[in-house]
Amino acid sequence: MKADSNRLLLSGNHAVSHAVKLVNPNVMPVYPITPQTPILELITEFHAAGEMTGEIMTMESEHSAMAAAITASLTGVRVFTATASQGLLLMHEMLHYAAGARAPIVMFNVNRTLGSPWGFWPDQTDSLAQRDTGWIQYYCENGQESHDTTLQAFRVAEQVLLPAMVIHEAFYVSHSMEAVELATQDQVDAYLPDFNPPHRLDPQIGESWGNTVSQVMFQNHRRDMGDAMERVLQVAKKADQEMKELVGRGYGIHEQYRCDGAEFIIATMGSMTGTVRDAVDELRADGLPVGLFKIKLFRPFPIADVREILAGIPKVMVLDRNFAPGTGGILYQELKAALYGLEDAPEIHGYLAGVGGTNITPAAIKEMVQSAMGEKPSAHSVWKG
Amino acid sequence: MLQFIIQGRGGQGAQLAGKLMADMFFQEGKDVLVYATYGGARRGTPVSSSLRVDDKPIRMRCDIEHPDIIVCFDPSLLEGGTLLKGATAQTIVLINSSLPAEEFAHLGDFKVVTIDAKTIAKKHQLGRIVNTTLVGAALGLIDYANVDLMEKVVGETSPVKVQNNVAACMEGYQVASEGSC
Repeated sequence: MKADSNRLLLSGNHAVSHAVKLVNPNVMPVYPITPQTPILELITEFHAAGEMTGEIMTMESEHSAMAAAITASLTGVRVFTATASQGLLLMHEMLHYAAGARAPIVMFNVNRTLGSPWGFWPDQTDSLAQRDTGWIQYYCENGQESHDTTLQAFRVAEQVLLPAMVIHEAFYVSHSMEAVELATQDQVDAYLPDFNPPHRLDPQIGESWGNTVSQVMFQNHRRDMGDAMERVLQVAKKADQEMKELVGRGYGIHEQYRCDGAEFIIATMGSMTGTVRDAVDELRADGLPVGLFKIKLFRPFPIADVREILAGIPKVMVLDRNFAPGTGGILYQELKAALYGLEDAPEIHGYLAGVGGTNITPAAIKEMVQSAMGEKPSAHSVWKG
Repeated sequence: MLQFIIQGRGGQGAQLAGKLMADMFFQEGKDVLVYATYGGARRGTPVSSSLRVDDKPIRMRCDIEHPDIIVCFDPSLLEGGTLLKGATAQTIVLINSSLPAEEFAHLGDFKVVTIDAKTIAKKHQLGRIVNTTLVGAALGLIDYANVDLMEKVVGETSPVKVQNNVAACMEGYQVASEGSC
């Protein structure tokens, strides 16, 4: 590593740890699980070296880690934790609670296959299965994006008072080492305002959280959560734009790559995006009008943007590295729902590609594009890879 | 793009070998992407490190299909495994073995090079730790030019026996670059 520069050779996981160090959260309840553990390991090393000053709580389970995170967050302080796979699923009950309690916790999740059978492979089903919990969800393509998005997540979560999950995949991102340009402390200090929530658990103030409510109060609370989620679309765009102005890197909440004049768009999320970029470049070189639509912010799902971007495109091919038995690929479902009733809606091919971490190369993607171009889409997800 | 697959058994240091090489290319200003795959962190099971090196950012996140160099820490990995699956006529397969390369000619149509890394490692008091010798040999095969940087990175990364690891790496490099593997 070059010590004299902010550009380091880092794994995706350690790129996240460095972002968290710059934020220096007040409380970090932790519980290890492969392939997330390196995130928390490096944080504890920073802490031991005196470079982070928050409280690290070693918990007895992920469920307890999230319970501690909620309680700490409700006292009005910054909270971070990280998990993966089975650990995220053990948190499930508490994920709903965190969102309902409007606790702006930031959590990093490393996508890993769910048992049974046992595996360690990249597959997004773990976090996508949490899509209805009320958490903001960002999917990242590489270590640089994970570093920067972790910083953005604190800002967005605290502004709307909803928890945020930032996500990358096992191995292809979590354990891949590549050059990562770290934000500087000055940049992060300028980017993240002090966190002073309007309500917090504080004996001096005498507020509480968690009373039983009436049906109408419950419904109104859910509507407030929905309104906050709606606000995320603009808040996240602004947070990204301001990061771009400050550090020179921005991603948008989604991205169109080489979509000018495209008649066929590949839609995907996470690490697959990088592989699709190479496939798109090769297809363009062959004269085929193909582009990439990357979804980064999955919750809230940017429905209006999706309708605007995909209107008039003849064909869309969705690549899902996840699988919901009974309905198929989850991004495919979401896109179809978002486009319902749209005039000039594209035909959509839903492909299950890379489920369980199977290998998907640019050549495989090119083949899928070529076969989809000459076929009518099925109404269901189709297995590829 | 230059692509390496480095395979050993858990505990042999194949993952670290990939990181060492990635660090050297990174410090030279190249774009690199290196990751390891393993079926659970167990000693003795195959561990692969995949390294890509290029002059522009590496975007694809998939396995290396057709490596330029395969580094095999242990000939037992060649039988029945998938290590040689993507080897082509252009691939160099570097095998840690005291046997001559001809003994492995039946494996397929690619260039096989052997190096007795075990003996070199023992000579440098490294016991069975052959990863630094094999890193040197792999870099020697591609005529890696920055020998000073290689010495520096191996020295900085070795947790113990720094000089021994540097010397073993240098010997591996010399043997390979002189074509005496």
